Amino acid sequence: MKLHGKSVLSFFHGYRTQAPDQEGILLKKGARNTSYQRRWFILRGNLLFYQEHQADHTPLGLILLENCQVEPRLKATEPYAFTILTPRMEGVGGRAYKLAAESQEELGTWLCALAGVSWRRLAVLLSQLEAQYRELCQAAGQEPSSPPENCDFLATLSVPSSFQELHERFGKEIRMLQASDKGGRSPGKSGAGAQPVFVDE
Amino acid sequence: MRYNEKELRALSRQPAELAAELGMRGPKKGSVAKRRLVKLVVNFLFYFRTDEAEPLGALLLERCRVAQEEPGGFSISFVEDPERKYHFECCSQEQCEQWTEALRRASYEYMRRSLIFYRNEIQKMTGKDPLEQFGISEETRFQLSSLPRDGQSARVSSRLDELD
Repeated sequence: MKLHGKSVLSFFHGYRTQAPDQEGILLKKGARNTSYQRRWFILRGNLLFYQEHQADHTPLGLILLENCQVEPRLKATEPYAFTILTPRMEGVGGRAYKLAAESQEELGTWLCALAGVSWRRLAVLLSQLEAQYRELCQAAGQEPSSPPENCDFLATLSVPSSFQELHERFGKEIRMLQASDKGGRSPGKSGAGAQPVFVDE
Repeated sequence: MRYNEKELRALSRQPAELAAELGMRGPKKGSVAKRRLVKLVVNFLFYFRTDEAEPLGALLLERCRVAQEEPGGFSISFVEDPERKYHFECCSQEQCEQWTEALRRASYEYMRRSLIFYRNEIQKMTGKDPLEQFGISEETRFQLSSLPRDGQSARVSSRLDELD
């Protein structure tokens, strides 16, 4: 079976300037070689990447975390040890990744980070908040907005401001983007021109 | 890059968000459309030969663009390589819209961003943080700071600073 590597690496590289959900050194027990190896782990969404060194550009490996069980291992040879147990479905899968953090604090941070990774959990939370938002809009007689296609608007918000203030700020940004888009295009140029303003995920 | 194929196969057997037999054509020039069982499981798209239990392949649906393609189909491409498209043929416009909507919403990053957006909106409207009721207000992955500040965002915000 082919995992289209480009789709995964595209995700990995595309977010390299964004802080991951969690990252750091973990000791990983090899599958065949049973000694622990020091690896740099990067958690993004429901995917756990690992590479040999922090500065490496390409991950060594990938662990899919959906429906996994994460548990501390009290009887391990290494202190601060835990296991990621991947689900077994219809006789397939079910592997235990044996990992260890380098301190009690780091163990706690990783266990916490890994506890909430599930896509399905996120989907449930999202649908609840979306429903709540729509109900509030309906009660207020307000047209609900959709989440923006990119993060520009959200990234400029540090504290929720008044609706009027935000309305004006968004309007400013839209007019600026429209102005720069018009400036960049000229009739008669080939189609290869302007970059899309919004990036779909 | 190493991954555990068994893990991926196990994932493909998990309950699907959406599954259907569609025509599928790979991104390579001259590739022919073939009937495939296409299955959306969390943020992965699996495709199978219609009579086989093991998937032929999987695509991770992050940083991708899903576009409707005339007639009655859609394409998936990745932001880093927009010309390389995976094409799918649906049996109706309705099915096409159902799939494009589901695929767009399948991205973990899209979902996270949307959740943060709604959280912010609800907080503005009610003065209360809706994540408090779940006891997860402090969870790192749901903070505004977890969102990307890419080049475009930085340019826009610095222009705004100039205007202020």
